[in-house]
Amino acid sequence: MDISQIIFYCTATFILVTAFLAVTAAKIFRSTIWLLFSLFGIASLYYWMDLQFIAAVQTVVYVGGIVVLIIFSIFLTHKANDAMPKPPLMRQVLAALASLFGIALVLYLVYHHVFITPPTTVINANIDTIGFQLISTEKGGYSLPFELASVLLLASLIGCIVIAMRQGTAQVNSVD
Amino acid sequence: MISFENIVKWIQAFLSAHLPHIWVLAVEAVIIIIAAIALFAILGLVLVIMERRVAAFMQIRFGPNRVGPWGLLQSTADTIKLIMKESIVPDNSDKFLFNLAPFMVMIPAMLILAPINFAKHFFIWDLNIGILFVSSISSISVIGILMGGWASSNKYSLHGAMRSGAQIVSYELSGGLSILTIIVLCGSLKVSDIITAQETGWWIFRGHIPAIIAFVIYMIAVTAETNRAPFDLAEAESELTAGFHTEYSGMRFALFFLAEYINIFIVCAVGATLFFGGWMPFHIGTWHAFNHIMDFIPSSIWFFGKTFFLIFLIMWFRWTFPRLRIDQLLNLEWKYLMPISMVNLLVMTVCAIYHLHF
Amino acid sequence: MFIVEYLKEVTNAVKSLATGMKLTGYYFTHHKEIITQEYPDNRATLKMADRFKGEVVMPHDANNEHACTGCTSCELACPNGSIKVITKFDINADGKKKKAVDQHIYRLDMCTMCGLCIEACPTDAIKMANTFEHSVPDRNMLVKRLNNNGSKIREGVE
Repeated sequence: MDISQIIFYCTATFILVTAFLAVTAAKIFRSTIWLLFSLFGIASLYYWMDLQFIAAVQTVVYVGGIVVLIIFSIFLTHKANDAMPKPPLMRQVLAALASLFGIALVLYLVYHHVFITPPTTVINANIDTIGFQLISTEKGGYSLPFELASVLLLASLIGCIVIAMRQGTAQVNSVD
Repeated sequence: MISFENIVKWIQAFLSAHLPHIWVLAVEAVIIIIAAIALFAILGLVLVIMERRVAAFMQIRFGPNRVGPWGLLQSTADTIKLIMKESIVPDNSDKFLFNLAPFMVMIPAMLILAPINFAKHFFIWDLNIGILFVSSISSISVIGILMGGWASSNKYSLHGAMRSGAQIVSYELSGGLSILTIIVLCGSLKVSDIITAQETGWWIFRGHIPAIIAFVIYMIAVTAETNRAPFDLAEAESELTAGFHTEYSGMRFALFFLAEYINIFIVCAVGATLFFGGWMPFHIGTWHAFNHIMDFIPSSIWFFGKTFFLIFLIMWFRWTFPRLRIDQLLNLEWKYLMPISMVNLLVMTVCAIYHLHF
Repeated sequence: MFIVEYLKEVTNAVKSLATGMKLTGYYFTHHKEIITQEYPDNRATLKMADRFKGEVVMPHDANNEHACTGCTSCELACPNGSIKVITKFDINADGKKKKAVDQHIYRLDMCTMCGLCIEACPTDAIKMANTFEHSVPDRNMLVKRLNNNGSKIREGVE
């Protein structure tokens, strides 16, 4: 086992342990922090694979974006230091079954899937290549998902504006 | 000639002559860790004394001038005092997160050091996406603040953390857009490429008006991102005692304090790299004789000179402007900096396509 | 037009920020205007402002004469009772009895330097000195007698 594999197994163990802690922690904020570490571990796994762009995007979107939003919603809805109530037994059993099913499915797929050996050439993660790939319409191009994501973002932006918009006339009338 | 580049080469040659490959890497990693920690310690000491002296001169005072020559050892004495102080953990706090938070602030600051070019060919890891790496890691640093504010179970801390979160998340946008403005000119995210692209002149001069606007926006955004006055709402000592680090004392407080200054250094180093060419000496177009004279000044001096100039600029802001209110802060970002930097990015793109820059 | 207003606002903001930075920049580059006094080091050359209120003193001239008539106006004016004037009766040349000051007791430890006694004094016998080094090993030493030993009232002061 060479040093690269040791690093991989260390990172993988870190991800799994923190992910497990994230779902078992009694306090919701701690569980978020474990989730953060887990996501960060995945980003470091991308760095290990030398996929730097994906790793940075993982950090920006998941660690810096989503986890911060989760923390904000916790701040607005929870009091500091109160532990979450213990879920009822029925729910615990169902959750355990669901996760066991998930593990079984993943293991089945991993052991029965025929993996294509990756090309020995180094993936050219040049920033130009990534940029062209993102908006290319040819085979392997990401133009359609890119546009779809932008439409989704636009829709959510408009939704935000509609929710936050002040109904000026209606309010004035109610005051009168 | 002694330069950082030669020292690195010499260490590399020395180690690879005596050790197997894997141990060379390990020893180099240890050297880098020690060097990074030493840099942090020295920067902390230097920047604190610099801040206090600059503040004093701007307020027509002397500032610390008793400990050591010209008061230069004042921050060392303060550090010794902080080490000896008891670090109190509040009874009702979440102890684990409370202890973790200062390190969560320090670790991102350490990670960001990786792609920065401190001198010619002197860096830790010049990765392909250098600037993106910097902005991705700097988006994590807010989590340490949020964590510390929450774990203290103190209303001041929670308020400070929330303000800080809102502030950093929103100012990251205009900061990122103004970084993009320069990336458009260079066409690369790699830090060394950005610097070599400025061989015929720094971007702030060659990019003329859009680059200057981007620079101003970048300076405002990073002042907000590092929670410095006039954007120090997260600490706001008159309203929130000390914001997110109200409950911290002793060395834990010192880590927060140090992280603030390290973050200033880092954002200024990135600013110097993007707008002032990092270690690149002052070159003017094709005046080869002039450029050659400028090359005699070592690259590390150029880098640290520019960085400290920008740090001085941020200190100048701090001791000039009054603190903003939270609504003014968010108005400034979303109604002024954001639209202006977007339009600016568009203008710069047009400039880059039609080669309207020098 | 909206966009013109917007741009005007931005330029005004930048201009006002630059004005502020110009002022602090001026201070930063002009060290001679520093107003901090490095007190124990410059003790020999330190000059306090005349308006500084340090303690109440009673000036005596070369003949050891003062202007205090012993009227006790200052004692009455003092809000916290830090002045006590002990009077006596002098026999002057005509053989008449005349009120005069025996001991003008001033308690520096109780004084708030309000200066009401100086305003109340009809003959300007007391004034505020600008000394400030008042620390003593025993607080009894802060109870002072302002008129000198054997001093008497100046001729012509009524």
